[in-house]
Amino acid sequence: MSSRARTAVILCTCSGIIAERIDWEIVQRLLAVHPTKPVFRVDQLACGADNLEQMEVWLKEEKPERVVVAACSPRDHEATFRRLLIGAGINPYFLQMVNVREQVAWVTTDPVQATAKSARLLSAALDRVQRQEPLVARKVPLRTEVVIIGAGPAGMQAALTLARAGRKVTLIEKEPFIGGLPVRYEELFPNLECGPCLLEPVMGELLHGHESEYVDLLTLAEVTSVKGTFGNWTLTVKQRPRFINPDLCIGCMACAAVCPEHRPHAWNAAGELAAVDAPFAGALPNFPHIDPAVCLKLKGEECNACVVECPVEGSLAFDDTIREVTIEVGAIIVATGALEKQDVPAAFAGLADVHTGYSFERLLAMNGPTSGEILKADGSPPQSVAIVHCAGSLDTNEVPYCSGTCCRAALKYAHIATAKVEGVELTRLVREQVVPGLDADSQLHHDHSAVSRYSGLGALSVDGVGAERRIVCQDNGQAIAAEMIVLMRPVVPGEGTSKIAEVLELDTNAGGFLAQLHSLSASCASNMKGIYLAGTSRGPGDIREAFSSGTAAAGLALSDLVDGRDLVVDPQVAVVDAMRCSGCGTCLQVCPYKAISWNARDRIADVADILCRGCGTCVAACPSGAITGQGFSRAMLRAEIGGVLS
Amino acid sequence: MSCQSYSTTHPTYPTNNVDAIAGVGVKIVAFLCNWCSYAGADKAGANQLPVPAELTTIRVMCSGRVEPTMILECFQKGADGVLVLACHPGDCHYKEGNLRAYCRAALLERLVPQLGVDPRRFRFDYVSAAEADRFSQITNEFVDQVRALAVIPFNN
Repeated sequence: MSSRARTAVILCTCSGIIAERIDWEIVQRLLAVHPTKPVFRVDQLACGADNLEQMEVWLKEEKPERVVVAACSPRDHEATFRRLLIGAGINPYFLQMVNVREQVAWVTTDPVQATAKSARLLSAALDRVQRQEPLVARKVPLRTEVVIIGAGPAGMQAALTLARAGRKVTLIEKEPFIGGLPVRYEELFPNLECGPCLLEPVMGELLHGHESEYVDLLTLAEVTSVKGTFGNWTLTVKQRPRFINPDLCIGCMACAAVCPEHRPHAWNAAGELAAVDAPFAGALPNFPHIDPAVCLKLKGEECNACVVECPVEGSLAFDDTIREVTIEVGAIIVATGALEKQDVPAAFAGLADVHTGYSFERLLAMNGPTSGEILKADGSPPQSVAIVHCAGSLDTNEVPYCSGTCCRAALKYAHIATAKVEGVELTRLVREQVVPGLDADSQLHHDHSAVSRYSGLGALSVDGVGAERRIVCQDNGQAIAAEMIVLMRPVVPGEGTSKIAEVLELDTNAGGFLAQLHSLSASCASNMKGIYLAGTSRGPGDIREAFSSGTAAAGLALSDLVDGRDLVVDPQVAVVDAMRCSGCGTCLQVCPYKAISWNARDRIADVADILCRGCGTCVAACPSGAITGQGFSRAMLRAEIGGVLS
Repeated sequence: MSCQSYSTTHPTYPTNNVDAIAGVGVKIVAFLCNWCSYAGADKAGANQLPVPAELTTIRVMCSGRVEPTMILECFQKGADGVLVLACHPGDCHYKEGNLRAYCRAALLERLVPQLGVDPRRFRFDYVSAAEADRFSQITNEFVDQVRALAVIPFNN
């Protein structure tokens, strides 16, 4: 490569702002002796459309091999001037910018020093640009299919939004049934809307509606590994067997009625469920699910009860096996949700009729363990109910944050309990009350429960049993009737959220939720391009936020993956020189993006340009100097160092 | 707007003597990462905060790109001080490049005295894209500190 390539230097005055401090005439005289013998041009506003046109004409006349632009920060206009070079028929990577506005003119008050500093920086840029190489951006076709992980309200809404746009969607759910948490809630705050009534049409549309042909639903499925990058992800999904043939089963649940074996009813947080059953009336998809750990036949024992009872032969598929599915998509939407912490604080552990928000919610549900009656374990209604707000939230021993939704849920419980159990004595123990939203104020205004303030779980103890049971509060000495206790436990990341963070290598925040690209302006994007976030995987939230963030995440996927638009791979990536690579593997360990893989055949490192982000950490780490950081090569940076120190 | 010679809008300069302005006092090289510290330096510019004229910056995409040998080369070629400014821990645009830079800095802090360079001439620190004040403060502090030191023996 010629070390004396003909170089054009464009000096911008930024409408005079730069020229207030930097004398471009003196700079030109200082650089006249530079070995590259640069040609100069001073522009009043180099980024202006008219000037860009004139500069293009000038560059075409001068025919330089390299271009240096001294103007504003490259973070502002590097792309503008790269386009100028393309227009002038020069490789855009033969550009070097010198930031004389932000980093010289605006910070150096003495014009003599500012001018000298600019000359030094320009000299370095002239040296550097000689070492620059022509680079060509590679284009890679993008996939437009999207995978959505989690079939709660957020994931379902994202799936439907995409399907309506004609996008192929794979919706992955780890449970045998979809709908997430709110489908199990009889009534939703703040207006006591029926959760299943709200969600069943959504689920129905997803499973059988006009757009359902675009949606491939995988229940009992979990993502086990992910490879690739934005536009081209390959996911491996493990799907556990349901042991039901979905093409034959009519969902009559006759099998469940005769099944002799039972498992704990996790969905109700109480009672039992047959080994072959669906957890509640209206669970979708409308097929039962067999728990292989409980079913006698699957454990190899003699039992044929369900097969005898089933009206459609072949519906029960005992030979069903675990499947591994490979899915290729352009984008991933994570909607793995959150859950309420289910352990019970020490002061309440082991006591009867102590509920978490979730188990109380099931008690209120028509399809729950008590068919919607608020009953104690002994089957009778409680004379008093105490609801403890912030039972673990805003608490440095558990979670430091406010879970955001529990106050509105607690007000709902108080309202429903008062209506369902005549004469019940209802007390809410509160630390803070957070009731945001345009329509939630009515919850507060219609609340007739007694309210008692407490300082923290440590101040509460339980005394007595049955109707005489009291929560004693050390803060004020009050003894609050508490035959039934509801603890508003903190909202924490769902099991699926923690797992997917590991599999996708997504960053998490202090609470363990998935980190957002920006908590205010990009809350549905993750730190990784092509992975979007919806619902409570991002932090505690209500169903309203789940629906809106599901729509938002789908919108991001739609705008990033446009049919027919290729992904342009930035050529400023790391490249391994096969002849110099010693195969030590140091770079594999330092790459934050797994962009470097081991080429066992040649015993060298390979960089996948599509995954490489061009940070250059591997370049600096390579002990053999075998990796070139294109655009920021060792030769370029050394030339720049030499230039600024000359 | 047309391209015009700069001299027509020329303000009054204390000197037009090329030779008088070519020389500088100390020479300081600062390696700044594109996403945090370089953006912080730009912000210092936007806020018109003082940044020493002796400081010349070299932009890299990530502080993890800076090779320890480059820092040694700076001293060899006459730098009186070298700064490496990275994103704060946990904020690296490239996840953890700044932590690699931190490890290399810890090594360099022990290495430079063995080469006869006062370790106060090298500093690794963190500046976020928003920390214009911090950029101004660190660079002024560092340059003042280097100015106060005697010249490096092998550079004299």
